[in-house]
Amino acid sequence: MFEKIKKDFTTKTLVLIPIAIAINIVVGELVARLKLPIYLDSIGTVLVGAIAGPWAGALTGGLANLIWGLFTPTSAPFFYVAAVIGFMAGLAGKYGAFEGETPYWVSVLVGAVFVFSLTLFVLAFINVNVDETGYATFPSMGELFSRYLLLFIVAILLGGAIGYFLLQKGGYAGLWGLITGVIAAIISAPTAAYVFGGVTGAGTDLLVAAFRASGGGILSSVLAQGSVSDPFDKMLSFMVVWLILKALPARFKAR
Amino acid sequence: MYVARASGLHQLHPLTKVLTALCLLIAGLTLPGNWTSYCITLLIVFPLSAWGKVFPNLLHIVWIVSLPFAISVLLIQSLFWGAGTPIFEFWLFAPKVEGARYALISLGKIILVMSSFLLFSLTTRPDALMIALKQAGMPSSIAYIIVTTLQIVPSFQRKGATILDAQRSRGLETEGNLWVRARALVPIVLPLALGSLMEVEERAIAIEARAFNSHKAETSLIEIPDTQFQKNFRTVTLVAMPLLMIFGILWRL
Amino acid sequence: MAFINIQNLTYQYPTSKAPVLKNINLQIEQGEFVAIVGPNGAGKSTLCYALSGFVPHFFKGELSGSIEVAGRQSSQSTLSEWVLNVGLAFQNPFNQISGAKYTVFEEVAFGLENMGVPRTEMQVRVEAALQLTGIADLAQRSPYSLSGGQQQRVALTSILVMRPKLLVLDEPTSQLDPIGAREVFNTIRNMAKDGTTIVLVEHKVEWIANFADRVVALKAGQVLLEGKPSEALTSDLLAEQGFGLSRYTSTAREAKKQGLWKKDTLPVTLDEAVEGFKQ
Ligand SMILES: Nc1ncnc2c1ncn2[C@@H]1O[C@H](COP(=O)(O)OP(=O)(O)OP(=O)(O)O)[C@@H](O)[C@H]1O
Ligand SMILES: [Mg+2]
Repeated sequence: MFEKIKKDFTTKTLVLIPIAIAINIVVGELVARLKLPIYLDSIGTVLVGAIAGPWAGALTGGLANLIWGLFTPTSAPFFYVAAVIGFMAGLAGKYGAFEGETPYWVSVLVGAVFVFSLTLFVLAFINVNVDETGYATFPSMGELFSRYLLLFIVAILLGGAIGYFLLQKGGYAGLWGLITGVIAAIISAPTAAYVFGGVTGAGTDLLVAAFRASGGGILSSVLAQGSVSDPFDKMLSFMVVWLILKALPARFKAR
Repeated sequence: MYVARASGLHQLHPLTKVLTALCLLIAGLTLPGNWTSYCITLLIVFPLSAWGKVFPNLLHIVWIVSLPFAISVLLIQSLFWGAGTPIFEFWLFAPKVEGARYALISLGKIILVMSSFLLFSLTTRPDALMIALKQAGMPSSIAYIIVTTLQIVPSFQRKGATILDAQRSRGLETEGNLWVRARALVPIVLPLALGSLMEVEERAIAIEARAFNSHKAETSLIEIPDTQFQKNFRTVTLVAMPLLMIFGILWRL
Repeated sequence: MAFINIQNLTYQYPTSKAPVLKNINLQIEQGEFVAIVGPNGAGKSTLCYALSGFVPHFFKGELSGSIEVAGRQSSQSTLSEWVLNVGLAFQNPFNQISGAKYTVFEEVAFGLENMGVPRTEMQVRVEAALQLTGIADLAQRSPYSLSGGQQQRVALTSILVMRPKLLVLDEPTSQLDPIGAREVFNTIRNMAKDGTTIVLVEHKVEWIANFADRVVALKAGQVLLEGKPSEALTSDLLAEQGFGLSRYTSTAREAKKQGLWKKDTLPVTLDEAVEGFKQ
């Protein structure tokens, strides 16, 4: 096991990691300058995972947040989330997510299923009932469907369109990105809620506010916020990495 | 980050500072009492930073970074608290005492996280920390990654700016509606990433040519001064940290 | 037996379709200063990598034939052992900075740290190397604050301090301005005078003509010709094969056709040209 992990770390990988972290930072800043409502600050981490495997990806993510923490200390406590993202990118790479092209219908399906489940998840959270003893009951699926049918149809159409236009032929990479984003949202919520009182001081706080306003608890509002923004963000990150690797000449992919 | 000053804190062994900062952080987050983190920040971290002659720097950064947090957390948690005692009522808004209290407690934790981190990063040269970590048994590859990252980020920022300007002068639109701005991303990110990836090979060759992969025991040009007292102190913090965590968890059960 | 001995070397990168080096034979004596010239894609860099062990140890790929330096076979050695014998510096000065060090002094010591040289010896060696290459005044600067030419001299010093038996330099001046290039050339000359065996890939043939002991011309992965600089760099063969040669040589060649150049040999440098046309 240990030997296998060590094999991931050739000199090229070690050199790649600082460059990848620099890419994270520079692209993150660029996105902020373009005033886009996403982070896209883990492209470098995903790149390392894709090129050099899960362990190298995990190390990149973890170190990226800790090092960046020297400048903005608030990113440091989330180092484990970034590590998991890098690890997931490595798994995605192992299963060929960044190679070849998928047909458009795969991308449409991925997008539709994702936005649909997201809608379901968010609505379930908003409509949760908490009785006096603190016991929470979720509304049944049927109940939700009948109440918000139109919303669900819109969600599916929107998701399909996102898949078609954004994922294009990188449907498989996008899918891995979505899964990674969901996991990231779940594991970062406790830290966000406990250490940071549920806010990040950024635009996404509006979402937290919205969920709190509709009656969600602190942890669940943070979780709901994360589930809306993280999967979308990671889907785009994985997509961009898929594009980069498609354009990279084969000789530079060797480890 | 590092601010050069002639102070006793600067002269401490880097690991002493890291472990102290970590210990304070853990103590603030795990010890019982809602206001513990404020106490630790005010009574320990701030005085230590004053000893290191970096108190104004620390305060300045904490202020800048925590202000958006403070506003966000206060607004969100007090306005949307649910049931509770309102502070005042105005139209739809009724901030709750309990929410504001919760927000202030959270803010204390945020400030503690930041200031304990800054306490050490403002007073420790990154390369000294790396040498110390290497001497304590950390693989030199990790040290290489951390120091190199800190050094190359500025040049990457320049590279990003150069590409942005070049693409703009070729007619790339970077202002306008969301879709226009989003589309500007790919022509900037792609050249940046591809160019950097092609550099990797040469950089790897350059450091391998300098025996980076040699299996001999490495030596170090710079020596980090250490004392027996500091060594003992570090042992104490290493024992204290897990105890603090266990105590914190048991207390809450 | 020659100090450096390449026999029947044929090599192909993992991703290339045909061999990049084809049946190369080359012998170099200790203390010799050999210049390699050739058009783009001739395989000059690949030959440098083969001498310095990166082909095949780093790049993998298929290699046949043998590379021997100071009695040791590259194939019998690991890369980390081989780099102690053969030092390599190349074009881009920026990519050669390790990134792990904050001052030039520490940067130059990086290789010695990795080699496990004791601290006191390290200090002596770094100071000596900085003196030899003439950058002692930069010792406390950050490598990132330097000009390209200064950075390249730091890179050369960082390799030199490791005391390799052979120094391989792949177009060390091609990305520098004229001032930077001159600084680096002076440094290389000092190292050659010091007795270091040097293999240098270089396009600036006028400079080679003055300082190299021998020129090896490479094209399409094969050695086309080798000989004394004054002969090789003025040969008709290289001119026919489209090598980038000195403009003084080509001017004199034209002049000779019209009977304006009287000497038998063609010039490479400005001085030789001036002298010849005076006659
Ligand atoms: N890592 C690599 N993988 C695959 N092919 C390569 C690699 N490096 C070089 N090549 C190919 O090998 C051939 C020789 O390249 P090489 O870099 O040795 O030439 P060169 O003489 O140094 O050229 P230049 O003057 O441009 O530096 C070229 O066709 C090049 O495309
Ligand atoms: Mg070359």
